[in-house]
Amino acid sequence: MKQKNRELKGIFFFIAALFAVFLLFPLIRLFIKSFWEGGLTGEFYSTVLGREGFGTVILNSFAVSGASACAAVVIAFVMAYAIHYTDLPSAVKKIFRAAATLPMFLPTITYGFAIIYSFGKQGLITRLLGFQIFDIYGFWGLMIGYMIYTVPVAFLLIDNTMGYIDKKMSVVSGLMGDGILSNFWISVFRPLLGTLAGAFIQAFALSFTDFGIPASVGGRYDVIATVLYNQMLGSIPDFNKGAVVAVIMLIPSVVSICILQLIEKYNIRYSSISRAELRANALRDGVWGVSGSVLSIVIVSIFAVIFVVPLVQEWPYNVSFTAEHVISVFRDNELVTVYRNSVFMALITAVAGTVIVYGAALITARSTLPGPFKKIIEFISLITNTIPGMVLGLAFLFVFSGTPLQNTFLLMIICNIIHYFSTPYLMMKNSLSKMNAGWETTGKLMGDSWLKTVLRVVTPNASSSLMEVFSYYFINSMITISALIFIAGARTMVLTTKIKQLQYVNQYNEVFVLSLLILFTNLAAKLIFMWLAKRSAAGKNRVKPDDKNK
Amino acid sequence: MLELKNISKSFDGTPVLKNISISADDGEIVSILGPSGCGKTTLLNIILGILDTDEGQILYNGEDMTGVPMEKRGFNIVFQDYALFPNLNVYRNITYGLRNKPDVSSPQEVQELIRLLGLQEHLEKRIDQLSGGQKQRVALARTLVMKPRILLLDEPLSALDGVIKESIKEKIRTISREYQLTTIIVTHDPEEALTLSDRVLIIDSGTISQYAEPDEIIHRPDNEFVKKFILNQLEIKRSNIYALFDTPAQKAASM
Repeated sequence: MKQKNRELKGIFFFIAALFAVFLLFPLIRLFIKSFWEGGLTGEFYSTVLGREGFGTVILNSFAVSGASACAAVVIAFVMAYAIHYTDLPSAVKKIFRAAATLPMFLPTITYGFAIIYSFGKQGLITRLLGFQIFDIYGFWGLMIGYMIYTVPVAFLLIDNTMGYIDKKMSVVSGLMGDGILSNFWISVFRPLLGTLAGAFIQAFALSFTDFGIPASVGGRYDVIATVLYNQMLGSIPDFNKGAVVAVIMLIPSVVSICILQLIEKYNIRYSSISRAELRANALRDGVWGVSGSVLSIVIVSIFAVIFVVPLVQEWPYNVSFTAEHVISVFRDNELVTVYRNSVFMALITAVAGTVIVYGAALITARSTLPGPFKKIIEFISLITNTIPGMVLGLAFLFVFSGTPLQNTFLLMIICNIIHYFSTPYLMMKNSLSKMNAGWETTGKLMGDSWLKTVLRVVTPNASSSLMEVFSYYFINSMITISALIFIAGARTMVLTTKIKQLQYVNQYNEVFVLSLLILFTNLAAKLIFMWLAKRSAAGKNRVKPDDKNK
Repeated sequence: MLELKNISKSFDGTPVLKNISISADDGEIVSILGPSGCGKTTLLNIILGILDTDEGQILYNGEDMTGVPMEKRGFNIVFQDYALFPNLNVYRNITYGLRNKPDVSSPQEVQELIRLLGLQEHLEKRIDQLSGGQKQRVALARTLVMKPRILLLDEPLSALDGVIKESIKEKIRTISREYQLTTIIVTHDPEEALTLSDRVLIIDSGTISQYAEPDEIIHRPDNEFVKKFILNQLEIKRSNIYALFDTPAQKAASM
């Protein structure tokens, strides 16, 4: 037991030190910067808060994030319902699932440009319909962008809970004489309520702090992310006022996470996946099938333009096919370097991130370390969940400018690991704690050291979760922009920050080609890791034919 | 009286039930017994009305129920994992159906059921505060409030341990006797089936292997399946238990 604790303590202190230096310290610096310049002062707060139009900006942010979060939850609900409560063919359900999660593979800044090229005056959809549905620069553009951005998160949450809801409740409710609405309430909506609220809050917080979408379609409709960006990287950067805006951006995030923690306690837990036993009902399947299809088509059609624009001569004036733009991107050494940078950064983030997440989860899920150690890890996970990327990036900018770490890949990789720590950590912890608790003891009795048991028993059994964590880190590193925009340098340019730069010079063909590169890289990564995870899961259950006869 | 006539059901071309015909009298407890995958749950779902039968008829007191939707048949079920509504407390679960049909049970009848099932001191509790046996009794009460014409029980004892099992068995017998309620029980455990029911329907890969009273099954098994899979299990149990109660002297003698 002593041996085990020594190794785990080593892991713990490494993780704790990492987060102290790269999370706690930068955040404290950011706070101090917002009210301290040669002495305590409230001046920065009063100028920012007193600035004309700042109230409107906050209201804008709340209004558009709230509206898009509502829409995202409704869309996600309809698609998840069509998957769990109908007899649609499984191929159709797979398509719904793919459409609902597709936006995860693209950076948000791309959504903005996709919206411009779909719904703008010369946009693909505008031209197909013959009229412009809404003015994209402003509320509607932002709302559509945020909505698409947050549908995957909302969908994954709702889809997961729906799988566990006891479908028999619906039969009982029917037998008790409930009508359609009462039945829906007691057996679907009520059990899902906590998840729906959670999905709304997550979607809201993500939209509230996103930078990519307002960077592209914000127009004159300012939200807090644009104010923060202009404050820091605009014509007259002001670090103190930037810090104030960052702190203000942090408040709703912190509040949302607190509410989520509260909701968690009231959520009803179910222990096992439950499949609906459905009577054949063509009307029901038809209605939900059509709804799901329409939503899938809407999501996919917004992205269709990414494939069209770079493959035609000059959108919208000359729409004959050409591969010229794609070829020229690959001929451009700089762009190729940027692509390599991105993949390099994402790979190292994934490797290092997975190791750190695994270590942290081993401590909380499979160790006898005292409570405070575990609490600190849980606390780190909670904090990383509340900190928006922009705030983290800005804090890094304050602390590491002028140090040798400035503009390095190392800093960007650490930033990504910390920014995205929470979700993979919870995934890993969940999977480790489900495993048999006796393995380490058994290993010890067989003469293994703790490390040996972890390597020989725990790790092979955790391999599919490790793959998931790896691909989560990889994909998110490929698409993130909000934190990196503040810390990427000229030599450490990655695809997303390059896209932002290309926007200034109106090189949209390149923007879309790079977006496609991100999409295909991520899809390839996802497929490879799904295959690997499946293979390792299958390997575990495989019994060689001769084994039985021995 | 419940009658099943020539019930057959296939899933994707694979027959799951073949030509099942049985009848059950009022107040009779019938167990459907068989290994997993034999089709017993499918048969239960067909009687309840979650599934439609491909062929054959379901009759209740001569009335054809085959095409009648589940909620109009007047049958009711307690599921294996109870499907209690976790957002409502015990009392509100029990009286759930009264919101829709206020007159189906009088307040006295509800109180009588609560007393019969020993739930008086649990009425204000949340569902997740209950033990398995308590949940089972709440689910029974909730179903009985609706005064079902047929009571279906899906593996009612398999999630319960020793002593609780016996007391729930007793409750099921009491209910069936007091309310003259035809009760259909699905189980995979021969001991449960043969000690609890008036008649046992043994199903082997979708066909009736034997349908008879427990006594007859024990003494005149119809075929090898019944002997091998049903009686054999009970004999092993019996010899184990006899061995336990043997005195050392008897043991020595038997050696």
